[in-house]
Amino acid sequence: MFFGIKVVGDPSSMETNIQYTIVSYVFWFLSMGAMQGIGWSIMSEAQLGTLEQMYMSPMGAWRILLARIVSTTLQQLIILAVLLYLSMLVTGTWLNIDVVSILPVLIFTIISMFGISFMIAGMAIIIKQINAFLQVLQFILMGLTFFPMSISPLLAVLPVVKGVDMIRGIMIQNQTLLDFHWADYASLIANAIIYLVLGILVFKRCERTAMTKGVLGQY
Amino acid sequence: MEYIIDIQGIKKSYKKRKSKEIIQAVKGVSFQVKRGEVVGLLGPNGAGKTTTIKMMCGLLLPNEGTIKINGIDIGKQRLKALRHISTVLEGNRNLYWRLTVRENLEYFSGNRGLSKKAVSAQIDELLERLNLTHKANEMVNSLSRGMQQKVSIAVALLSNTEIIFLDEPTLGLDIETSYEVRKLLKDIAKEYNKTILLSSHDMPVVQEICERVIIINEGRIVSDERVSDLLELFDTKAYSFTVNSVLSDKNLKEIQNHFMAELELNDGMQSVITVTITHSEDFYKVINLFEEMNIEIDKVDRSIIDFEQVFLKIVKGEMKREIAATV
Repeated sequence: MFFGIKVVGDPSSMETNIQYTIVSYVFWFLSMGAMQGIGWSIMSEAQLGTLEQMYMSPMGAWRILLARIVSTTLQQLIILAVLLYLSMLVTGTWLNIDVVSILPVLIFTIISMFGISFMIAGMAIIIKQINAFLQVLQFILMGLTFFPMSISPLLAVLPVVKGVDMIRGIMIQNQTLLDFHWADYASLIANAIIYLVLGILVFKRCERTAMTKGVLGQY
Repeated sequence: MEYIIDIQGIKKSYKKRKSKEIIQAVKGVSFQVKRGEVVGLLGPNGAGKTTTIKMMCGLLLPNEGTIKINGIDIGKQRLKALRHISTVLEGNRNLYWRLTVRENLEYFSGNRGLSKKAVSAQIDELLERLNLTHKANEMVNSLSRGMQQKVSIAVALLSNTEIIFLDEPTLGLDIETSYEVRKLLKDIAKEYNKTILLSSHDMPVVQEICERVIIINEGRIVSDERVSDLLELFDTKAYSFTVNSVLSDKNLKEIQNHFMAELELNDGMQSVITVTITHSEDFYKVINLFEEMNIEIDKVDRSIIDFEQVFLKIVKGEMKREIAATV
């Protein structure tokens, strides 16, 4: 991919293009894991036949799934860090890794990813075989992580877009948390909370539908 | 009296996937279970046993009716009610096959909010009790079906809940393993003082383990009796009369006009007729009837009806009248 940019890209903007691609690519990778994680988990439990047993937990299935997705995302962040440094090493392009600035934005971005993950999981609970959808979702996620906010401010209502854009600002344009407007934070936090709450509500609604239709344990 | 399980008028219907036909799986089931009682839910395939158990676990929502577990309405406070229940579901759906026995036990207790450390000693004790210590670090997929079922039961026991639901615990087991699991369940019922509700279509399991049996057929309860009462009821009411002559059709009809009777044998020399009676005094009426017809009775045997026959008769509806008369 980076070789392609070097060969066919505009030499005057090559450095920026590579930096942009690295950040977007790393977030695409992260969003695929975080957004599809619970859906895969539901499908695998249904296939094994253990989904109903998971639903017998007094903790509530959504809490178990949330714990799982948090732990897998943490693992993925380690892989992601390795991937990021490898990408920088391979391309010889160095980004601003300001952990203090990146971390808060990253947390809210991931929270919105979890919201979408719950929505997908809700779908998996009823339909079960959502492999084809997950394949298509990869390209949607690619769009979300690669879209710059400069296209339209309305993109802020979509999950991930605002967060990735802010992180690109930190990593490519060397911005700090102080450089962002309060509206940026408001948009980022509202996006995360709305998607997480909406995701859990959709998931619980789908659970109820599955329990009414009697398809919870079916595969 | 407050019952630990209180079910009132639950109904459940499904829409068939392709034909969209509505299937009524459970048609208004009501029953109560006392604390510490061991109850069998018996019925043929498709009777509505699993649907009933799943509704009791909150895995299925009933169309109508209420289910209270320890006074908690499972429809309204599902998670709170689940603190009192552990379930061994039908088939191999209770364990993670690529985890070891110990890992499974630790995982499921974690799902109930218990830490690995807190249950460690209890796991050792349970493994020892269920004779699984030597298999503790083996992957579940390498165990026999019987062993896997034992691990599923261990998971349920580890939860330390007051109620255990067992859906077809001996399904698919060979005779020896089925016997072993039966024995284990019997011991558990005795030792752990749990409220157990067990669904099965395996009569010996219910006969051996349960105090009370609820027979369900076509989504309805057709009988709710103590196992001993059911056996006693049918055990004493059937007699085989052997007569040293060929019983004519006329005589047979005459007997059948008064009692439930079935000709078992008519070999040209002897006839054997089984008569089922409702009240003990009817026995003398049968003797008198034979006497009136000048039929000499050679032998009278009390027919031993086992639980399987009782079950079949109830399910076929033949014994509804007798049960109604005794209740």
